[in-house]
Amino acid sequence: MKVGLFIPCYINAVYPEVGVAAYKLLKQVGVEVDYPLDQTCCGQPMANAGFEDEAVRLALRMEDLFKSYEYVVGPSASCVAFVKENHPHILQKSGHVCQNSRKIYDICEFLHDVVKPTELPAEFPHKVSLHNSCHGVRELHLSSPSERNIPYYSKLRDLLKLVKGIEVFEPKRVDECCGFGGMFSIEEPEVSACMGHDKVMDHISTGAEYITGADSSCLMHMEGVIKREHLPIKTIHIVQILAAGL
Amino acid sequence: MSTEHSKAAADFIANRSQEQWHDETLWMVRAKRDNQSKSLPEWEQLRDLASAIKNYTNSHLDTLLQEFEKNAIANGAIVHWAKDADEHNRIVYDILKQHNAKILIKSKSMLTEECEMQPFLAEKGIDVVESDLGERILQLMHLKPSHIVLPAIHVKRQQVGAMMEEKLGTEKGNFDPTYLTHAMRRHLRQQFLHADASMTGANFAIASTGEIVVCTNEGNADMGTSFPKVHIATFGMEKIVPNRESLGVFTRLLARSGTGQPITSYTSHYCRPPEGCEFHIIIVDNGRSDILAQPDHIKTLNCIRCGECMNTCPVYRRTGGYSYSYFIPGPIGINLGMLRDARKYAGNLSACSLCLSCSNVCPAKVDLGEQIYKWRQTLDSIGRANKEKKLISAGMKYLMERPALFNTALKFAPIVNHLPRFMVYNAANAWGKGRELPAFAQESFNDMWKKNKVK
Amino acid sequence: MSSKEEILERIRRNTEKRYEMPDLNMDAIAYEDKIDTFIKVLEASGGEAHLLAPQEDLNVVIRSYYPQAERIGSNLPGITCATFNPDDLTDPRGLDGVDVAIVQGDFGVAETAAIWLPKQTKHKAVFFISNALVILLDRNEIVNNMNEAYQRIASASYDYGVFMSGPSKTADIEQALVFGAHGPIRVTVILK
Repeated sequence: MKVGLFIPCYINAVYPEVGVAAYKLLKQVGVEVDYPLDQTCCGQPMANAGFEDEAVRLALRMEDLFKSYEYVVGPSASCVAFVKENHPHILQKSGHVCQNSRKIYDICEFLHDVVKPTELPAEFPHKVSLHNSCHGVRELHLSSPSERNIPYYSKLRDLLKLVKGIEVFEPKRVDECCGFGGMFSIEEPEVSACMGHDKVMDHISTGAEYITGADSSCLMHMEGVIKREHLPIKTIHIVQILAAGL
Repeated sequence: MSTEHSKAAADFIANRSQEQWHDETLWMVRAKRDNQSKSLPEWEQLRDLASAIKNYTNSHLDTLLQEFEKNAIANGAIVHWAKDADEHNRIVYDILKQHNAKILIKSKSMLTEECEMQPFLAEKGIDVVESDLGERILQLMHLKPSHIVLPAIHVKRQQVGAMMEEKLGTEKGNFDPTYLTHAMRRHLRQQFLHADASMTGANFAIASTGEIVVCTNEGNADMGTSFPKVHIATFGMEKIVPNRESLGVFTRLLARSGTGQPITSYTSHYCRPPEGCEFHIIIVDNGRSDILAQPDHIKTLNCIRCGECMNTCPVYRRTGGYSYSYFIPGPIGINLGMLRDARKYAGNLSACSLCLSCSNVCPAKVDLGEQIYKWRQTLDSIGRANKEKKLISAGMKYLMERPALFNTALKFAPIVNHLPRFMVYNAANAWGKGRELPAFAQESFNDMWKKNKVK
Repeated sequence: MSSKEEILERIRRNTEKRYEMPDLNMDAIAYEDKIDTFIKVLEASGGEAHLLAPQEDLNVVIRSYYPQAERIGSNLPGITCATFNPDDLTDPRGLDGVDVAIVQGDFGVAETAAIWLPKQTKHKAVFFISNALVILLDRNEIVNNMNEAYQRIASASYDYGVFMSGPSKTADIEQALVFGAHGPIRVTVILK
């Protein structure tokens, strides 16, 4: 099982420790993992803003970088979802049949559905509030969307059960958007910031010390709110918890 | 790089307590909807069926509408066809003129709003009286609805009380909703009894029987049609359903989705006119047939106007209906506005974080969020792309297509973290509203990997 | 070309793929005790139910619910508490100010507490204009859900009919629920 590690641009630039944790975690569960050098961006910010064509060359580049891997695995649900859902039709325009879309996984999805570890050495004696990110929930199906009438499940919660000492909570509005939305955050700054504030307060009301989830972009947005308002909660990517102690 | 929507939204949010009330109240409706949808094990199957029935009806409009017409005529109704808003309004006026009708009592209809019928009729001297309580309040306040199901959700009881005090002589300072509602009941009772003609929309038009179905909680459509000799019902042609059995699907979804009730108080079937009365039915196109040719957007014709996409939308809840420039707000309104006039209503497209809650909540499975994403891709070609956003996007593309440049940029990026705060914030002004900027790492993941530091 | 022809022509030109009508048969919810569910849902929607006991007199029961009522209208046989027959009125406006109307429900639906009321009086206003409405319903005539309800009236013939669930209501002022927006403020269902 040969895995190419997909490190999206802002994890590369802002949260390299999330990339490190993802690497360690995959090694820990016995996966052969490599990082194809000089990755940049999947093109989602441009496409969501309405400039899908500007993502074509980036999508082609990703195809090239990961062509020799059996799986592409990344610690960012939203970027993974973009590759999976949108790269095929973006690439179709240039006559290329997308390969990544059928082999790309968010790391939690990959662990939960493919590797299926039954134990982890991780210990994290803290209260955490799960951030069910929009694209993780509604595109990658990491948990049951609150809108649907289907039995509750959460792949993130399942994985966190392997961590010793952790207490897991969920906010009242269990999967409401945090307001990041890429360019949305600067095109509608008042609305975005308001959503971010409301979301952080909802997480705080659980009594948790940390907000955790599979999307660094949402966590980055909420961290911005927390720092601005000096709120009593921290953010941490779920792979950092799962890789705690490695 | 603000948009028309974001500017109006900022004003709405500036009144934080009103914004919070609006958000929480509509979230409560969403929660009631969740309770109702989860009371039926077959909920998802009903959504699938609703969507499948709509796929059928929207691909058989020609045959179904003719079947409807034939049966409606056999029932004694008079059927009219209107290709656009002008023709619709003229048909209504001609009917009223024929009967020398001056007062028209009208229940809620998004279609008459779409056709801007009321100003047209007002100019001709017709007094159009809205009979839905919320719509009547707004009409007396000279305001527009801000939600398609909860039209006066943005108005506070004090404002309603003050208006009714002035116009209907209610007690000064009495803002009790029960008191105000019952005062409105007395006021509208007189309007019902003395109207010359009545008008309703239709939630459904049944092809196999030629009848129309109107759903209300207040009973205003039924009261309105009980006294005058003329009833005009108007519907957009996508409201057609093949038979009564299909309402066994839609009536289970509509009110549960819209207001979190099992069903509306009244689901009224109008089949044959009472003796001595006239029943006119207007079938309206007004752009709908054009949507049939747009595979990316045809599913907007599935919409049953329950309004739940507004209640679930985190942007709508925090920005109110008036922040959108099209008369239907929220996710469905963004899409319908673009179909009506893309250049005119493109300013609403920013009102979406692509969270996709709307697509999952929709009882008829309209892919609302996905369609907004598609519309955004067309902005540049219609000359409505935001220049700044385009520049940022092009800049990102340039950088991201050049890994060496990107990696160099990341090397210097941490320096930005130490620039004076105001300089950073001038560069990323918008993000700075309410949020600190993320700090770049001293060393990127790519560099760490190259230096073999990732182990 | 008439507008009708123009519209139909445009529809035909723009219709691409044609889809089949789905099979509407489904496993819709069924309740162990339909009467009990009906009553609970009715009460939740603001209505009230009375299970008529064998020894009870229908007219006495109606009176006990509305002791102050002065104008009671019904065209049903055996409703001796009625003070007038609404079918005697030529103009439905004369019904304004009626305290209670008594009508016969065709069947009820447990899922929604809706009762199918085909028009049964000269003026359909009888269903809506009185301050209170009493609906008589055979307790054995309750179906599970709206799917069954619409199957039941699939080919019924009526001029007008309404599924009515509880009293008239509105929440248009600040989402505060108020009964009696325009129609009956109170609805009493007597299950015979």
